[in-house]
Amino acid sequence: MIRAPAIGTSAAGGRWLARLIAVLAIVLGLIGCGSSPDGIVLWHAYSGAEREALETLAAEWNSAHPDAPLTLVAVPYDAFADKITSAVPNGNGPDLFVYSHDRIGDWAAAGVIEPIAFWVDDPTADRFQPAALSAMVYDGELWGLPLAVKCLALFYRTDRVTAPPRTTDELFAMVPASRARGAYPLAYVSADLYGHAPWLSGFGGSVLDEHGAVKVATAEAAAALAFSKKLITSGVIPAESTGPLVGTLFNEGKIDMAIQGPWFVGDIAPGVPWAVTTLPIVSETGRPASPFLSAEGVLMSARAHDKQGAFAVMQFLASDHAAVLRATRAHQIVANVHAYDDATLAADPVQRGFRAQLAHAIPIPATPAMRTVWTPYASALAKVQTSDTAPADALYDLESELRRYAQTPDGAR
Amino acid sequence: MTRATPPHTGAQLRDWTVASLFALVVALAVFVGHRNHALRARQLELADRAAAEIALGRPPIAEAEAAGIVGAPHPSATHPFLHPRTVTGPTGTRPLGGPSAPAVDKLLYDAAERYDARGPFVELASDGSGHAIAARPGTGGVAVAVIAPESPEGMPWLIILGALGLGAVIAAAGALIGGAARPLGLAIGGALLAIPANGWGGMGATISIVCASLAVTIASGRGTLARAFAGFRTHRVAIAFLAPASLAMFVLVATPFCVGLVLGFFDHQHGQWSFVGLSNFGEILSGGGRAFDDPLNFWFILGVTVVWTAANVFLHVTIGVALAMLLRQAWLPGKGVWRMLLILPWAIPNYITALIWKGMFQGEYGAINALLHAAGLDGVSWFSSWATAFSANVVTNTWLGFPFMMVVAIGALESVPRDFYEAAVVDGATPWQRFIHITLPHLKPALGPAVVLGSIWTFNMFNVIYLVSAGKPGGSTDILVTDAYRWAFERGERYGMAAAYGAIIFLVLLLWTVFGSRIGRREDKS
Repeated sequence: MIRAPAIGTSAAGGRWLARLIAVLAIVLGLIGCGSSPDGIVLWHAYSGAEREALETLAAEWNSAHPDAPLTLVAVPYDAFADKITSAVPNGNGPDLFVYSHDRIGDWAAAGVIEPIAFWVDDPTADRFQPAALSAMVYDGELWGLPLAVKCLALFYRTDRVTAPPRTTDELFAMVPASRARGAYPLAYVSADLYGHAPWLSGFGGSVLDEHGAVKVATAEAAAALAFSKKLITSGVIPAESTGPLVGTLFNEGKIDMAIQGPWFVGDIAPGVPWAVTTLPIVSETGRPASPFLSAEGVLMSARAHDKQGAFAVMQFLASDHAAVLRATRAHQIVANVHAYDDATLAADPVQRGFRAQLAHAIPIPATPAMRTVWTPYASALAKVQTSDTAPADALYDLESELRRYAQTPDGAR
Repeated sequence: MTRATPPHTGAQLRDWTVASLFALVVALAVFVGHRNHALRARQLELADRAAAEIALGRPPIAEAEAAGIVGAPHPSATHPFLHPRTVTGPTGTRPLGGPSAPAVDKLLYDAAERYDARGPFVELASDGSGHAIAARPGTGGVAVAVIAPESPEGMPWLIILGALGLGAVIAAAGALIGGAARPLGLAIGGALLAIPANGWGGMGATISIVCASLAVTIASGRGTLARAFAGFRTHRVAIAFLAPASLAMFVLVATPFCVGLVLGFFDHQHGQWSFVGLSNFGEILSGGGRAFDDPLNFWFILGVTVVWTAANVFLHVTIGVALAMLLRQAWLPGKGVWRMLLILPWAIPNYITALIWKGMFQGEYGAINALLHAAGLDGVSWFSSWATAFSANVVTNTWLGFPFMMVVAIGALESVPRDFYEAAVVDGATPWQRFIHITLPHLKPALGPAVVLGSIWTFNMFNVIYLVSAGKPGGSTDILVTDAYRWAFERGERYGMAAAYGAIIFLVLLLWTVFGSRIGRREDKS
């Protein structure tokens, strides 16, 4: 048997006292960690220039409000939504957080976020681009203030295209000249609902019906699907394009135009002359091709400690001054339209191009049903584009698949 | 401890501590529950009374933090989701809301919104602030009252310490008297907290404390507790060494595993969990009502997974062993360089390799089709049919997997004595006979476990499937683990379904491991 060496009683007593103090210190330390800090805590998933812009704004806020400081916590994007969903109901979440609008439906239904219409008056609401503000509305309630928006628009190489196509007929007419140079007129992420959405809306289709239920097997959607295949078979676009590939092709001059979002600006190589404009009108219907819009907003936790103070921070982050700073420093396409009164921003061609496209953009529905659609829809697009599957058949299979995901195992729904 | 004190007094107090610790935990829990319940009931009663007074047109009671008649919403003409209201209180009517409105007004406003949606209510604010809110119909609007949160009364430490002290004295006295008084003293002393607990938590708490005390008394009488403590003391060094690892295993392995198993019996939709029994497993094993050749049927996916695993392990072993034998040949120069180059695919993170291969399989600009074009062949649209998409996955994973088998085979081949081959050559054995009768039997002990390991890795090789074919076309190249991922993250957060998938994958792999090791053992015996 192993025995510890004998120790005198007083030494043993001292050791026990030391252990007791250590345990007490740990317990008190843990209690200290649990107590909430003063001021407002905001979680965000920004990096790079967007993070720097937000930090600058926080510093401005803190120097003006030393009594109610704003603390920023950067949380990795991948884990963000799940962390909010699980931390907030237990009272461990932030007071505010910045996230894309597509989860608002779940969070509102689960009581995770606070409705904010109480604090918002008409002049405040008028500051925002209508589509961006409407993205923050769910079930007739306003849940956040929009900060920035993202949507697709038409990038074109000015050395190849002098007049970008205004209609899809003009787009098809570009094929011979482009193919003669060994290039394609256009590329975009074609086997993906986000990339396909402009054509879907241009043909008058949608993903959800007016009650928010999935409704994908429609004649309009089938026409849009057939159109996406026609783009490949007529040589307008290369097949199987991914985001990185589109960037490479654009830089190498193997495509003349790309349908991409604001993030694409950073992928364009220096020396490539380019501009941004709105997507063409679908000639078959006369409707503009309207991309999906996702709005990034600042949302308030339903468990925020100081809701009035938290709303003041929201208002500050969405203010004209903050919007100009975010747009100039981080190149965000900001939701606050007053920011465009700023001379630099008004002259910025990227801001101008996207702002024009925003007039024809549709907020991605913020419902849980919408989130089940992406992968199966992408799969249906790939099936139609790469095989002989008829668009109507692919959409019928898609709808039956999506209906299965909406069902509970006991068949209640 | 001196010999003057009877030795069993210490043991008695030790056993009393065990019983009292349990009693203390129960008593504290029932006290907190009782205290919170009473406070909540009082707050709600106050709120309801305050709202009733307001509804009758009387001034609010003194305890109310805010109260008044909240008027109907007036939706804004330009922004219909903005619908300001007014509140009428003792000081007159004022607008409710606006950028700098006080926080308590938000509670009045929200209460009126909630009343409009669901009717009268009395409840604590859902934000955890402790405000009690009541709303009932009033003249000209909704009568709302808000009661400020109150801090709960302190812990009854005096009562608890008194009961514990008295209990200790009774237990010690029983031990000093000896005989039947000893267990009696322990039972009574250990259960003394049941008396105040009865006032806080009712009979349930009392019975559980008394039962625990009796159980400790019986265990003490039989010497079970003494043996347990002695065992603990004897092995304390071993226990101290084992404790950190056991704790880590418990927290990081056992807990998530058990939680995962349990989740399989629940359904999660839109943030709501509900118990569904075996429905998830039923839904999966029945194939969701789809035909067997439907890529979304579980049995189809299981079939693909098995074919995928078999094809990969076969190729990994064949190529790995072939290269290992090649690297043994005396005529091969620069063996070290070759070996390093062949191990490289294994050293590169597999998702990077997978993304590179995916790019190479691209139809228009991919390297593989470029090679086919250069050779005068037509390009292949790799992800448009099952066979080509599956082959693309297998090629990628073979590239990733053969180095491991090669390394294992190289190690095993080193242990084959050269004399065997020399003797076989003298006996006139052909190279094939030498391979079958000498090399292979020597490879088996090392390759057996490697094959089991490799098959488990391949069975769950998420990265290659997800990144290369992504299930294309139409989910037909998905394997079980990627389909489980889709249930969790792409089909409406159906975590219960994903957990059930996880449990099924675990069972399949468990069977395979047991079965595989049994075959290995049987062969060893024969």
